[in-house]
Amino acid sequence: MQEASEKTPILSVKNLTQRFDDNVVFENVSFDVYKGEVLVIVGGSGCGKSTLLKIMIGLQKPHAGQVLYQGADIVRASDEALNEYRKNIGVLFQSGALFSSMSIKENIALPLQEYTDLDAGAIDRIIRMKLGMVNLGGYENHNPSELSGGMKKRAGIARAMALDPRILFLDELSAGLDPITAVELDELIIKTNEALGTTMVIVTHELESIYKIAHRVLMLDKEARGMIAEGGPLELKENATDPRVRSFFLRQLPENQDEQRFYAD
Amino acid sequence: MTTPRNIDCSADYQVSFKKEEPDLFIDLKGEFGLKNLTVFTRDIRKAVSDPSIQNLTIDFSQVCYLDSAAALAFVQIEKEAAERKITCRLVNLSAEAKGIFSVIHPDVLTLRPFKPEQTREGLVSQIGQTSWSIGRDFVNFITFIGDLLSALVYTLMHPSTLRGKDVLFYVQRAGVDGLPIVAMIGALMGLIMAFMSYLQFKQFGANIYVPTLVSFAMIKELGPIMTAILVAGRSGSAFAAEIGTMQVNEEVDALQTMGFDPVRFLAVPKVLAAVIVVPILTVYADVAGILGGLIIGVTTLDLTFKTYITQSIKTIQVFDVVTSLIKAAVFAGLISAIGCQRGFQVRAGAQDVGKFTTSAVVAAIFLIVVADSIFAVMLYYVKRYGILA
Repeated sequence: MQEASEKTPILSVKNLTQRFDDNVVFENVSFDVYKGEVLVIVGGSGCGKSTLLKIMIGLQKPHAGQVLYQGADIVRASDEALNEYRKNIGVLFQSGALFSSMSIKENIALPLQEYTDLDAGAIDRIIRMKLGMVNLGGYENHNPSELSGGMKKRAGIARAMALDPRILFLDELSAGLDPITAVELDELIIKTNEALGTTMVIVTHELESIYKIAHRVLMLDKEARGMIAEGGPLELKENATDPRVRSFFLRQLPENQDEQRFYAD
Repeated sequence: MTTPRNIDCSADYQVSFKKEEPDLFIDLKGEFGLKNLTVFTRDIRKAVSDPSIQNLTIDFSQVCYLDSAAALAFVQIEKEAAERKITCRLVNLSAEAKGIFSVIHPDVLTLRPFKPEQTREGLVSQIGQTSWSIGRDFVNFITFIGDLLSALVYTLMHPSTLRGKDVLFYVQRAGVDGLPIVAMIGALMGLIMAFMSYLQFKQFGANIYVPTLVSFAMIKELGPIMTAILVAGRSGSAFAAEIGTMQVNEEVDALQTMGFDPVRFLAVPKVLAAVIVVPILTVYADVAGILGGLIIGVTTLDLTFKTYITQSIKTIQVFDVVTSLIKAAVFAGLISAIGCQRGFQVRAGAQDVGKFTTSAVVAAIFLIVVADSIFAVMLYYVKRYGILA
C-alpha cells in the first residue's frame, strides 16, 4: 500500500457544480484523489454521489468546474482525449453491466482486442490471470446469466481491470450482496490495491466495508449541496462534530428527528 | 506503481542485452505495460532464443512502471526458458513489482475451464435440436393460446377486472398512431394497382373495370393482409419487446407473486385492443386504397369521379366487407397473441429480447398468411353452399 504521506494527486476535482434546470445537485465541490489510495464517497440518497462519479468518468458534463487528470481537464476534453483518458480508468457499474450476449472471457477480451495489439494467446493468458485475481478461475466460458450477483461483480471488476487502469471507479460496490460476498469483495479490493497500487474511487453505503477498505472518506449531503466531511473513516466516526456525519457513521437518525417521526406516525 | 527516485522515467522504455556466454543479462529501464508489451516480449524472446544461453537474468532495478499484463509476460518468458532448461532469475524487484507478481497464480493459467467452449454441433444433432425446438415452440404457443382464451373468458365473465385504461392505451398505440402509415401504404397500393391494371386493360378497352379490380382486391385481400403485416411490424414487435423487457426486469415475476395472472394482466388488454382496432384500420386501408385508385382513374383513365365511385360501390358486397373485417380481427388476435407469447418466452438478457421480438414478427407474418389461405378456401365454400351446408 502506498503511504498516504506521499500524496501525489492523480485526479483533481475543482469547483464542480452540477445542476439540472433549477435543481442544484451540488455546488463548488473540490477534492483530490491521491495516487494509490482507496477513496470512498458516501452520502444519503439523492446527494449526487452517482452524478459525481459519472462526471469523473466523463459520462456526464458538469454545469461548471474542472476534473483534471495529468493536468488536462477531462470535462472540456475532445472526444479523442476523453477516450485516451478512459483507457486509463476502469469502471464497475452497479449491476456489473456485463454484456449478456458474450461469455465472461469475451467480456474481458473486448477492451484488450480493441486497444492493444496482443495476439490471441497473450490475451487468453491475461484473461486467465485477471479471472484468477478475482477468484473466478475456470469461469471463462460461462455466460453472465449463469453467475451469481457477487460473481457478476467480480467478473465486472476483472473486465474493468483488463487494461490495468490507473484508477478504478466502483459504483455501489457491495449493494445487494450477502455479507460473506461483500467481505470477499472487500478483501479483493484491499488485495488489488495493495498488490497493484491501483487508485480506487468507490461509492458505497456499507459502513462495515467503509471501515475496512477506505483510506479516506468524502461525505456529500443533499441539503448542504456539497461536501460536508472529509477524512479517515475512524477519524470521522470518532471526531466528527457535524450531526449529519455523526448520524451516518453511528447509524442513527439525526437527533430531534426521532421525535418528528414519532409524531408524524 | 510509484516512481523510484533517481530514475529518469520520462524517457522511452529501454531493454538492453549483455551477453557473456553462457549468461544473458537483460536490463529493463522505463515503463513496461500493455502499450509496449508486444514489442519488448518479441525482443526478449529473440535474444533468449540463442541456443548458447544457459542462464538468464532480468534486472528490474530501473523499472518505473509495471502492469500486471507485463508481469504476466515475464512469467511466461520464465516458463518458456524453463522448458528449454535455461535458469531464469528476475532480480532487483521493487516492493511494488513483487506485489504485482504476487497476483499471478500460476495454476490459474493452466486451469481448465469448468465449461467447455461452445462449439458448433454436428449436422444430425443440429437437425434434432431444431426439430425439437420447433415442436416445443408449437406446444408453447398452443398452451399460451389456451391460457389466453381462459383469461379472455374470465375477463368476459368479470368485466370489472379488465384494465380498461390499458386497452385504450394500446388502442391508441396500435391504432391511432398507426393510422398515417396504414392510410399512406393503402393509398399507394391502390394507386399502383390501378395504374398496373390500366396498362393491361387498355389493350381491350376495358378501363371501366379498373375500379372493380381495385376495390375487389383491396377489400377482399390486400386491405386486411397489408394492415395485418403493418400491425405485426409496429405493434406485435412492441408487445414482445415490452413483455420481454418486463420479464428481464423480473416485473412479470413480481406480478405473479402479487397474485396477478400475467397473461390476464399483460396480454388480455393488448389482444383486445388489437382485435378492436385492426378491423377499423383495415377499413381505413380499404378506403385509402380505393381513393388511391381514384386518383389514377380520374387523371389517367378519363373516368369521372362519379363513374369510378359508382363502379366501385357496385363491386363491393356486404358479404365481402363483413368477412374481410372478421379476417382482420382474426389476424389481430394472432399478431397480438404471438407477440405476447414471444415476450413471455424471454428469459435473460438484451439479446433474448431482440431474438424474440424478431421471432414475434416473423411468426406473426407466417400465421397471417396461413390463416389467409384457410380463409380463402373456407369463404369460397361458405359463399357457394351457405354457412350451414
